[in-house]
Amino acid sequence: MTLYEGIALIQEKQAVVLDLGAHYTKFGFTGEAAPRCIIKSEFWCPMERRYKQVYDYNTTEELYDNLVQMLHLLYFRHVLVNPKERKVVVIESLLTTTQFRETLAKVLYMHYEVSGVTWWDTGRACAATLGVGTALVVSIGAREAEVTPVVHAAPLVHAIQVPPLGMQAVRVHLANILKEDNETELQLDDNVLEDILVRTCFVPSRTLAIQLASEGCNGVRSVVCGGAGTSVRVTGRARALAAEPLFERDRDMASLPDAVLQCLIQCPRDTRRVLAENILITGGGATLPGLKARIAHELRHLITVEPYKDQLHIKTFKFHSSPCEDNVCAWVGGAVCGGADGGGRAEPRDVYLRTQRLRDWACLLHNTPPDHHHRCP
Amino acid sequence: MAYLVQPDYVKYVCSCGQMKPITNLYFCRHCLKIRCGFCICHEVDSHYCANCLENMPSSEARLKKNRCSSCFDCPSCFHTLSTRATMVQPRQDPASGDAKVENKQPKKMYYLSCFNCRWTSRDVGIPDQPVASGGWPERVNPFANRFAQLMEYYKAIAQQEKQEKLDKERKKFAIRGNYITLTDKTGLTGAMARNRAGMPSSESTSSAIANFVLSQATEEVEELPDDYHSREVNLKMITTMPQRLASPEWQAQQVSRLQPIARPLSVKRSQRCRQCDHNLTKPEYNPGSIKFKIELLAFYHVPEVKIISYETIKPGVTSALLLKLTNPTAHEMQIQLIQPNEVPEIEEKEEPKNIEKSLEKSLNLEKDMSWKSVVERKPTLPSAIKVNNPELTFTLAQRDDAAEYDDDSHHDTNDIILWRKSNKLALRLQLTADENAKVGLPAVAVVALQYTYRNTVPPTSTQPRDHTLYTTVTIDLGIVSQ
Ligand SMILES: [Zn+2]
Ligand SMILES: [Zn+2]
Ligand SMILES: [Zn+2]
Ligand SMILES: [Zn+2]
Repeated sequence: MTLYEGIALIQEKQAVVLDLGAHYTKFGFTGEAAPRCIIKSEFWCPMERRYKQVYDYNTTEELYDNLVQMLHLLYFRHVLVNPKERKVVVIESLLTTTQFRETLAKVLYMHYEVSGVTWWDTGRACAATLGVGTALVVSIGAREAEVTPVVHAAPLVHAIQVPPLGMQAVRVHLANILKEDNETELQLDDNVLEDILVRTCFVPSRTLAIQLASEGCNGVRSVVCGGAGTSVRVTGRARALAAEPLFERDRDMASLPDAVLQCLIQCPRDTRRVLAENILITGGGATLPGLKARIAHELRHLITVEPYKDQLHIKTFKFHSSPCEDNVCAWVGGAVCGGADGGGRAEPRDVYLRTQRLRDWACLLHNTPPDHHHRCP
Repeated sequence: MAYLVQPDYVKYVCSCGQMKPITNLYFCRHCLKIRCGFCICHEVDSHYCANCLENMPSSEARLKKNRCSSCFDCPSCFHTLSTRATMVQPRQDPASGDAKVENKQPKKMYYLSCFNCRWTSRDVGIPDQPVASGGWPERVNPFANRFAQLMEYYKAIAQQEKQEKLDKERKKFAIRGNYITLTDKTGLTGAMARNRAGMPSSESTSSAIANFVLSQATEEVEELPDDYHSREVNLKMITTMPQRLASPEWQAQQVSRLQPIARPLSVKRSQRCRQCDHNLTKPEYNPGSIKFKIELLAFYHVPEVKIISYETIKPGVTSALLLKLTNPTAHEMQIQLIQPNEVPEIEEKEEPKNIEKSLEKSLNLEKDMSWKSVVERKPTLPSAIKVNNPELTFTLAQRDDAAEYDDDSHHDTNDIILWRKSNKLALRLQLTADENAKVGLPAVAVVALQYTYRNTVPPTSTQPRDHTLYTTVTIDLGIVSQ
């Protein structure tokens, strides 16, 4: 080791925090209260001459290339630091595929030669922004909502609910309503739909939703979006009912509030009340006006009806709000925890290179107790 | 120009197996291999502002969060903001009735304005500034305070955890317990260690932990106003998603809360060969210069192949392909076309692993080559179209910028050589498409070049100056037709 490297070791470089979402990627430094950039999880692919989504892949090799290009963009266009010999905190869902995790690890450790990686799951990271050890985290993402019970800072993996009720479902529903109401085949691309969604749509309260369902949405103001030629009339119905898929119960009680309650049923009895009194609704989807209030209404209603009435004896639901914008909550959790431990929890590069294996909760190799007779020595 | 606006018809196979146009490739003079953006190491060289072309030392850039202190972007349309000056008459203070005469001098005040969308800093109530640059009010993240508290809290916990672990290790050294192995690592089991992190132990002495106020959950959730749905929606007052995300700290939802965005800096990158650690490109420090101190581009070292024209490819039919070869180097070049499978495998010199080597490795002195296994791939080359190579070696003269104006075309043209002009040469090749080539699929011919290369700067004087190198090129010939 040269003298210079020795000095570099003493001055620990600020680690970076990476949250690769399905739609948006958040990237920045630990110890900072907000990410440096929130950009679409896509990059310009010169070979295919189009913008390519990171999650658009068929083979592991393609995923590897996507990640290399995305990280290049993040490091050299946005945070402007060398990836080499710098630690990374990765925010990931506990249900990330092994293929994705291992490819990301390869790209980070071997392609970009980062010095260490800490893996944080979304649930724990979100809870960390509150300072409490036990919380029920409802994170509404692009593709799915993830309901994670975190008890004493450990996620209860068996109780996690992941209904496919993310903003994508809302967007598809909005597109359908707009098509019906405008009575034409609208070719709206995702950016326009997103724009309409975030700027005009809202989630009505439970009472209003019932009222709208019986009386129709004529009372809701409509608005015209877009400029000349491309304008779309966003009817009151579209504004108020776009997010309704999250609350539809006809299919097997598969609404988002149902998922929260089913998650509670899966949790140990002694944790249920605490969890219900420490709910955190977050994620990019939670920024939709009125959404949090509506989930609260629905929860308070559902708990009074079958089948939850007899199974869950919960009287109160209480809600947290995290000290950040909802769409960066998990990232901020990673920035706090990654900054506080100074990278002490990171898996160093040399350890990874020796085995090229990641610890994973789903793998018995790492989860079998040491004295268990099935554990390999 | 063709390289900028057209699809890449001719691609070279990089030493790592990626296929890229020659303009995207580098040539390492020390390894004598083609390299590309995928297999080299990128490094941040210098920070600069692309608007005012000011350099910023990287330590200062870190401090200023990679933002220029004098340039601002429009928060509404992201165009650069301009500073406008106005003259204002200092307002007479009614309290001090007889104001002094010299105070009546009109004063210059400045505000920011966007020439593109007409947004101004006055729109959002930012007061005009008495100086032209700087002095604009800095906004702090509204959550900065709470975030700092959280940091303190978790730092104290991390500290305590470390201490406890040390104690435990000391105590349990004799019976190296299972507990340590369980809590030692990251992952789910590691969560059990953090478990105590969430609920600090009662004997905790740290004041940071004791004074920390946990987030309080409430029964009330912020509701929308009752008449929200019947209110008029004024889209002009609601920000778009790009406007919100342009400043991740405060993501303003109201147009009235937008603030000028300090312009993000850009970087100049230098690039390095991973194999030998030599620089492939190194930019000049001056942000206004687009020149390089080191610029080892393949375009200057590897023979360039261009398509002149070709006949449509049909299954089982022989067709003609006209190619142009160019020698970009300052030395004469001998080129021979060969089949891609005739390119000799470059065997990695596996040095015998003696004790010294393993000692070096354990001391971490040996070069880290772990990237090779993930970066390098075997390219899959299409084989449906066979190029009938002429058994000929062509000599290409060196590049001579003056020769461009000469008109002395050599007269050794024949069936194969169409024409020749200074360092360029046009070839007529015969292609045979496989009978089973599927109609409608892309027709790609593969040809390999064997060429001589003179290294003007050999790493050591003992090494030879002249080399025989190989490169494989894929040529896009449209689609196979009926
Ligand atoms: Zn390459
Ligand atoms: Zn500037
Ligand atoms: Zn503007
Ligand atoms: Zn090299």
